[in-house]
Amino acid sequence: MLSPTDSSRGKLLSQYVTVRIIRMDGVDIGLFDRDWQNPIYFFILNADEQIYLRYGGRDETAVDSHLTLESLELALKEGLKLHEEWKAGRLPAPPRPKPDFPENYPALVERTSAHGACVECHLIGDFKALQHEEEGTLDKLREMYRSPDIRTIGIHLDIPKGLLVESVEGPAAAAGMEPGDTITHVEGKRVYTFGDMQYEYDKVDRAATETHWSVDRNGKPVDLTIELPPRFWLTNLVHRHWTIEPRPYFRTKELTPEEKTALGLPADGFASRVTYVDGVADLLGSHELKVGDIIAGVNGVQKDPIANTAELYVRLHTKSGEASKLDVIRDGQHMEMKLTTGRMGFRK
Amino acid sequence: MRVRELALLLLLVPGASFAQQAEDGLIGWFENYDEAIAEAKKTGKPIFLEFRCSP
Repeated sequence: MLSPTDSSRGKLLSQYVTVRIIRMDGVDIGLFDRDWQNPIYFFILNADEQIYLRYGGRDETAVDSHLTLESLELALKEGLKLHEEWKAGRLPAPPRPKPDFPENYPALVERTSAHGACVECHLIGDFKALQHEEEGTLDKLREMYRSPDIRTIGIHLDIPKGLLVESVEGPAAAAGMEPGDTITHVEGKRVYTFGDMQYEYDKVDRAATETHWSVDRNGKPVDLTIELPPRFWLTNLVHRHWTIEPRPYFRTKELTPEEKTALGLPADGFASRVTYVDGVADLLGSHELKVGDIIAGVNGVQKDPIANTAELYVRLHTKSGEASKLDVIRDGQHMEMKLTTGRMGFRK
Repeated sequence: MRVRELALLLLLVPGASFAQQAEDGLIGWFENYDEAIAEAKKTGKPIFLEFRCSP
């Protein structure tokens, strides 16, 4: 029997009104905003639509890398506690986010609900980005690299135990975070779950150099200022490669400063080695790159304040369908190569 | 635990109504947000809301 009411989780769930939404038509996506590349996501809220906490979140490895039954139980217990706080008048409601609906995105409606198709979560992210792109309001860096990975700043969680820190290294360790700490606040916002934490951390400006967190250490609050490394937001785009244009149809890995110097290239440039070529590139005539090629420059540019690879430079600084010139090193020889980036079919 | 496992745990019986599931000893799941809000107002319970891409 599924979800039995006499199981531990069933007992917790039976204290809730449970609702499952599988179509996003008519849903206030302003209120229930999130990284839309999560195909399963939960909120705990009250009848006044005051959200207590989120349960969900993912990383680049899998949609469920941070979902466990144990952490779900913790979230359910926390939700009940918060509800009691609310009933006692000790949990004031924050300002409600500006309402927004899938119906506000004409291209999304045309693609989905206009002919009965499902308004899938990831399509909301895709078409919001498309509309912002057309309106010239797209924050490309933020929308492309959503949900920065906290491991980049050295935080490793004991995932089944929610926000309990298992080990720390790098910037988080330098800031004073310790194993056994429980993360309680990100940028001043109270967080109860990985989903809460990831949502608040995602709001950090991509140009920020530090972030402010608080932890509970043996019952005492400790405030921490964590220095953010360059490109703290950088993640693998494999699971969201279609969300932001253009599509370069290749992936690259940054060369080491020593490798760049040996090739006579600036050590702080974005010269990088091709690690993957999408088969579509050949079909579309996008480029003739091969795995192992080194891209030394794009349109005569070799350095960029943000991009550390040619792939990132192309993603940030070219438009889909636009032709660029690559300076490619193959077998030790420089060659000029044309690159024409692509655009997802549903956006044409 | 992975999404499939979590989904199975929380899965409703396809086609079964909220009342039917409750009678069967399963957790009853609303499929309509407004009805869930109304139920929460009536019972004083908090709401556990799941968004899922496919049933």
